[in-house]
Amino acid sequence: MDHIELSLTQSLDHCIKCNICTSACPVAAVTDAFPGPKYVGPQAQRFRHEGQPVPDASVDYCSGCRVCNQVCPTGVKIAELNARARAQIVAERGLPFRNWLVARAGLVGRMSCGPHAPLLNFGLRLAPARWAVEKVIGIHRKAPLPASSTYTFRAWFRKHRAPTTARRQVAFFHGCATNFYEPHVGKAAIAVLEHNGFEVLLPKQQCCGLPLISNGDFKAATSAHEANVQALVSYARQGIPIVGTSTSCTLTLKEEAPEILALHSEDVQAVAAGTYDIFEFLRSLAERGELKTDFRPIERHLPYHQPCQYRAHRLGSPAMDVLSLIPGLVLEESHAECCGIAGTYGLKQEKYQIGMDVGAKLFAMVKRSGSDLALCDSETCRWQITHGTGVASKHPIEILAEAYGLEL
Amino acid sequence: MNYETIVIGAGLSGMMAALGRAERGERVMVLAKGHGSTHWAAGCLDLLAEAEDPLGAINQLVQAKPAHPYALAGVAALEQALTRVRGVGEAAGYPLVGNAGRNLLMPTALGALRPTAFVPATMVNGEARQLGDGRPTLIVGLHELRDFFPPLIAANLRAQGYPAEGVYLELPPVERSHDFSPVVVARLFERPAFRAAIGRQLAVLVRKGGYARVGLPAVLGLYNAVEVVRELQALTGALIFEIPTLPTSVPGMRLFQAFEQALTKAGGRIQIGGWVLRGEGSGSHLHAVFSEAASREQRHMARRWVLATGGIMGGGLRAEHTGVVNETALGLPVRTPSGRSDWFQARFLDEAGHPVFRAGIAVDAQLRPLDAADQIVYTNVAVVGSALADCDPIREGCLEGIALATGFAAGQL
Repeated sequence: MDHIELSLTQSLDHCIKCNICTSACPVAAVTDAFPGPKYVGPQAQRFRHEGQPVPDASVDYCSGCRVCNQVCPTGVKIAELNARARAQIVAERGLPFRNWLVARAGLVGRMSCGPHAPLLNFGLRLAPARWAVEKVIGIHRKAPLPASSTYTFRAWFRKHRAPTTARRQVAFFHGCATNFYEPHVGKAAIAVLEHNGFEVLLPKQQCCGLPLISNGDFKAATSAHEANVQALVSYARQGIPIVGTSTSCTLTLKEEAPEILALHSEDVQAVAAGTYDIFEFLRSLAERGELKTDFRPIERHLPYHQPCQYRAHRLGSPAMDVLSLIPGLVLEESHAECCGIAGTYGLKQEKYQIGMDVGAKLFAMVKRSGSDLALCDSETCRWQITHGTGVASKHPIEILAEAYGLEL
Repeated sequence: MNYETIVIGAGLSGMMAALGRAERGERVMVLAKGHGSTHWAAGCLDLLAEAEDPLGAINQLVQAKPAHPYALAGVAALEQALTRVRGVGEAAGYPLVGNAGRNLLMPTALGALRPTAFVPATMVNGEARQLGDGRPTLIVGLHELRDFFPPLIAANLRAQGYPAEGVYLELPPVERSHDFSPVVVARLFERPAFRAAIGRQLAVLVRKGGYARVGLPAVLGLYNAVEVVRELQALTGALIFEIPTLPTSVPGMRLFQAFEQALTKAGGRIQIGGWVLRGEGSGSHLHAVFSEAASREQRHMARRWVLATGGIMGGGLRAEHTGVVNETALGLPVRTPSGRSDWFQARFLDEAGHPVFRAGIAVDAQLRPLDAADQIVYTNVAVVGSALADCDPIREGCLEGIALATGFAAGQL
């Protein structure tokens, strides 16, 4: 038993059965299929023993949003228990092809990104094609799939000419979404970092492994994380911060992969300790008075949703803190637990409606704001918000780049 | 980022202190490990249980026990805090009713009568003096809702001389088939069709039984409970009241929401999920605290701090098997009965209470923490609520009273 496993097991005994987690759980609020974090976490865990069959498969309906951990007054690691319980089910019963596929964000991204992207995007907008995908694979016909990019972020970066005035270095972890679907998010991040005097380095990297973890494919997730650690550890050891715009990727590097997959080598710890979400990084600059504040006013009132995966960093609201420095900009916080997509959860045929019901509160808030733009730090959440509201969505780094007046 | 005041703990005392400071124009953040005491408690305000006139008794108590939190905060702070908390409820459409000079006696989920000074308007029709007017009361529940047994409640009320009967209602058709926690049922009561169906059943029962009052579990909606009560009264012609349930407490959640609204409106921020592990100071000045976060601690800076982490139940104090009681966030010195053998009375239900529950942090008149030699540990920290020494809030029945009074005082210092 590794020390994380020990602390997970021991945290069971801190559960006083107050049901605060179940009361806050956005999934249990909208469906019976998930009886709530207390039951599938600290309670069912007492019946999970090595070599014995899994007592209850409803843990598969946990979306992994980690709201339970956040509200628990006694510090039970419920989300981690659930993630490991799901992997136990996968180990016992195998991984369905659909989950195998959606868990491989890097592979899917690589196949769909390129000059053929417009054709693919067009094809995936056709109802019969989506119907077929639902029937054959099990991805819901209405689920928000991202539009692939005609070029990768890495290809753009290779041609990008950086200013020569940089004083310090950061390493950028772009993640699959920025590389294959939304290179503009990465461009905005590079522009903001360079504007603040950083030379941006681009380490070799692959998918952070989060979709593999949340689909219970721990073997593949472990090799993904080990490969990333190998590629990133030299930066961490040199004290070069590893900064990412995808908040769930950075959380995976910092905590989810080490804790859930039980990887605790010194290299893993060094990478975890050296990784930052971009707004966490920018906020720490601002706190030290090192963030440039030559902002143009942006006279706008925008809805902002902090993704559950960002709240799981347990850092408060770094994007709100930094964007509040922009004159004129007013952000309205969603106060919604989750958008419902939870990475790949809301794509699945049997879970799509749950995801939409979970997101209903957020969608209503965005629509009520009357804004034509919503801000959110996580890509799948942005796609879900746009899907649920028809309102365009951007990463907060794009607004920051705009406020600096940076050409992208 | 840079806050003038950071309040550690999101219970009543912390929210009260944060609101006070935010309303003075400060940049304020509440930093809390999770949801807590509000969600566990009945959502009523206990000032002092063992007195008909709590305010009168508190006036005597502060003379007799100068180290008691009420004495430190002062009776004036308590009275102003009560005015403020009622304003918070009022603004959220959730009035708190009662009188600091006379305790109400409210039925519990066991049918016992519990003294408390203020209750939400949704509960007040269940007050025992009203139940004793000779007209019968009906207690209803749902089989699906756990830990709420109307026949048991009614039997215990009858045993105390109050005419009452208890029955179960039929659950109106809903898409759910299991797990009816108080919060799940409260969400159902947000639906007009659901409460109309409940109202129809109640109307029939009231007509047949001639009940003057109907008591239901405190699950009548999360956001519009006063409206739900009004609607059910109109449908049945009887007075409706809520009885607190086991946690998670819906009335407690409503009270938290009311404070959350008020604090947000005043410009304050709340960070839930930030478990404070330690502080960092120089001399008698605390300049940073560190909260647990992914892969490394988060550092928080503020000019002034309020420690509102609760007592042993809330997690602010931790009793170790080695015989020490620790203050968990900042490592402040705790006043504790000397050895572990002195923690407890010989009898479990001893009327004097167990000494360990009086453990806590000693403070000066400005609520600043003191060490064993009565020296101020940090001049820019105020300690509020159940973390304070010389008080056993649950036994004395003053949990909310001291939380509000000391929280209010820390908000004004």
